[in-house]
Amino acid sequence: MNKELEHNFVELLEKHQNIVHKVCRLYTNNYDAHNDLFQEITIQLWKAYPKFRGDAKFSTWMYRVGLNTAITLYRKSKRSINTQDFNDVQFKISAEEYDDTEEQQLKLLYNAVRQLNDIEKALVFLYLENKNYKEISETLGISEVNARVKMNRVKTKLKTILNP
Amino acid sequence: MDELELLKKDWQKDNKDYPKLSYNDIYKMILKKSSSIVKWIFIISILEFVLWSAISFALKDADFNKKFQEYNAENIMIPFMILGYIVIAYFLYKFFMNYRTISVTDNAKVLMENILKTRRTVKQYVAVNLGFMIVSAFVVLSIQFNRDEEIISIIEKSSANGELFKFYAISIITTLLVLAVLIGVLLLFYYLIYGILLKRLNKNYKELKKLEV
Repeated sequence: MNKELEHNFVELLEKHQNIVHKVCRLYTNNYDAHNDLFQEITIQLWKAYPKFRGDAKFSTWMYRVGLNTAITLYRKSKRSINTQDFNDVQFKISAEEYDDTEEQQLKLLYNAVRQLNDIEKALVFLYLENKNYKEISETLGISEVNARVKMNRVKTKLKTILNP
Repeated sequence: MDELELLKKDWQKDNKDYPKLSYNDIYKMILKKSSSIVKWIFIISILEFVLWSAISFALKDADFNKKFQEYNAENIMIPFMILGYIVIAYFLYKFFMNYRTISVTDNAKVLMENILKTRRTVKQYVAVNLGFMIVSAFVVLSIQFNRDEEIISIIEKSSANGELFKFYAISIITTLLVLAVLIGVLLLFYYLIYGILLKRLNKNYKELKKLEV
């Protein structure tokens, strides 16, 4: 029974792993930290899995556990300090190899999103994942109205970062 | 065009360059141990309970406590001890009940609140212990003033010299200073440990609370 549970879980997570990678990409700056956070989210998902009810979508359930781990439970590991920054790598590539303005704009956008605080990132993440305000408010524990208001503020903030 | 719409379009492409972990990679991960702050809070809290209980046990066996039996002060010490047991039982129970409510599948705000609540229980336990320590220090001092023969003779001497007030002032100020240093060290220790551990949580919790105003 336990083996079966393990097998089901690992298979599901393998299939949906991009959700966790997306959370990690948003909340970490480098490869080591990305892996570290991925591992912690995986452990938290696994610990919570026995209580997972099939009536919620596995992916929806993952958003909540993933974000909670990134925002609240995760402790930044020390060994991530000396490694190379994702931002730098990406930025260099974009500056040297791409001339496309849309591509350039996207890089700037990703960099702008990284400058937001943890809660703002969570809002943007759920927004980018096409979640409606009801789901956003339920995931974060704020009211739907406040989620909307905050999202508008985040949009303004992003604009300010992009066009200082 | 709305910048975020552009980002959304790109974000939802499935061909992003994310690492692709295999079944075995993930399987290995679930065998590893968590290093979440909840785990650390649990460990540190248990250590605190153990430490403070150990301190009270150590004091019970200490030489000066034996001296208390000479003062016939058990009628004061025994209620103190029983109260101590009740206090630790109450806080341990509360701590475990709070700890059990922490669930990663709650919404972010409830999760943060439950973690902070667990933390608060331990904080209260330590505060009660500190209070206990301060009260005990003064009880001990007053018992010694009244029943310790050496001290009584010093008091008599000081009183004959007209320095009674000075003697009391020095004793009380010394006790207060020792307590202040002890509490200062403890507070610094707490500030460092929990400051580091809960920095992120506190910041994010404040941010969520701010949204409600």
